[in-house]
Amino acid sequence: MNACKLPTVLGTPARAGASMEALASTAASVAVAAALAMAPGGAAGQEVKGDAKAAESKIGTCIGCHAIPGYRASFPLVYSVPMINGQSAKYIENSLNAYRSGDRSHPTMKAIAGSLTDQDIADLAAYYGKPLEKK
Amino acid sequence: MKFVSILRRTLLPLLTGTALLGIAAPASSADLAAGEKLATERCAACHGKDGNTPIDPSYPRLSGQHEDYLAQAMRAYKQDERKNPIMGAQAKMLSRDDILNLAAHYARLPGMLSHDR
Repeated sequence: MNACKLPTVLGTPARAGASMEALASTAASVAVAAALAMAPGGAAGQEVKGDAKAAESKIGTCIGCHAIPGYRASFPLVYSVPMINGQSAKYIENSLNAYRSGDRSHPTMKAIAGSLTDQDIADLAAYYGKPLEKK
Repeated sequence: MKFVSILRRTLLPLLTGTALLGIAAPASSADLAAGEKLATERCAACHGKDGNTPIDPSYPRLSGQHEDYLAQAMRAYKQDERKNPIMGAQAKMLSRDDILNLAAHYARLPGMLSHDR
């Protein structure tokens, strides 16, 4: 008994499976793209403008370490947690992006940055960053 | 009276000495002069002469940052744990002592960084 009587256009059952996979992956891509387009902060690649005021509700996880004088990271290495207030804004933004993408590795920061949207990162950079003065 | 003056001459300098040591030299055997020289030669062009005025907004301010964090960052660049083409190349030219001296130098410069936030 041939249970798999598929239209000839789909070819053999194996190829039919492949086409279904392709279809599913296309559908998933469309869904992801749609989700990205609707996400706060807009689609990837689009310039996101930071809002320091909006960051005030997002700094909870930052101040637990960065606003405590003498606080040290304890894993995987022990060293003082850097001061971030007053840093270059773009540097903060790049750092969070690097932690999120895995280019910069620190377990705690990777987990935290992974939970941030592009808009969150822009807001935090605006909040913590100090503009560079003209020389 | 004599006792007080002895106290003044011995105990006071001893106390201030200890206090100064505690503040100005937090457990570091770094060579500050060597750090300053290296900073001028290798770092200042991008991070600014004062370590607070980088030439590009994506470059960090270094001055006043924690000494051990600065050293950790340079080590991470050197070992490619932190990926940056410029800093990777720069850090690979630094010896262990160079890193400690630079970190000690920049940590002692007056900076704009704080724990206030």
